[in-house]
Amino acid sequence: MTLHNAYSVLYIGALSVLMVLVVACFIRAIKGPSIADRIVAINMIGTQVIIMVGVVALMLHEGYLVDVSLLYAMISFLAVVVLCKVYMGVFLERQAKMNQETQDHA
Amino acid sequence: MLDWLRFILTTGLLASGLTILITSVIGVYKFDYVLNRMHAAAMGDTLGVLFCLLGLTVSAPDIWTALKLLLIIVFLWFASPVSSHLVARLEVTINPNWHQLPLKPEHLMEEDT
Repeated sequence: MTLHNAYSVLYIGALSVLMVLVVACFIRAIKGPSIADRIVAINMIGTQVIIMVGVVALMLHEGYLVDVSLLYAMISFLAVVVLCKVYMGVFLERQAKMNQETQDHA
Repeated sequence: MLDWLRFILTTGLLASGLTILITSVIGVYKFDYVLNRMHAAAMGDTLGVLFCLLGLTVSAPDIWTALKLLLIIVFLWFASPVSSHLVARLEVTINPNWHQLPLKPEHLMEEDT
C-alpha cells in the first residue's frame, strides 16, 4: 500500500465517523426539550464541521480551505452569542409585559 | 520513512480525537439535563478539537497551513468557554426551577440529604 492510498483511507474514515456524529448531534438538536439543549447541540455540530473542513483541506491538498474552517469557527461562535442574547431578550421582554399586566389588574 | 512516521502520528492523534468526540456525543445523549450535557459537550469542544487538529497539523503540506490550524485551536479554546457561559446563563435565567432538576443521578441525591 502506498502512502497516498493510506492517507486517503485515513481521511475518508475520519470523514465517515464525523458524518455519523453530525447526524447524531442533529437528532439531539431536534429532540432537545429546552432551547439551551438545542444551542449546545448546534455548537457541537459547528465544532465537528470545523474538523471536517480541516480534513477535506488536507485531503484535496488545498491550503486555503483552512481559512474557511477558521471563518466557520468565528461565525459559529457568533451564532451562539447572538442566539443567547436574542432568547434572553425575548424572555425578559415577555416577563416585563406579564409584570405590567399583573400590576394593572391590581 | 519519515513520511510514514508522520502518517502514523497523524493516525494516532486523529483516532484519539475522534474517540473523544464520540465520547462527548454519547455523554450528550446519556445525561438528562442541559447543565449536565454542557459538561460533555465542552469536552469535545476542547480536547477533541485539540487532538484532531494537532493530528492534521503534523501532516500539513506547508508551514502556513499548520500555523492556521494551530490558530483555530487557540481561537476555539477562547470561544468555547465564553459560549458555554452564555448558554448556562440563558438556562438559569429562563428556567426558574433549574436548581430542583436532577444535577446529579438520583442514587447520589439520597446520600446528601
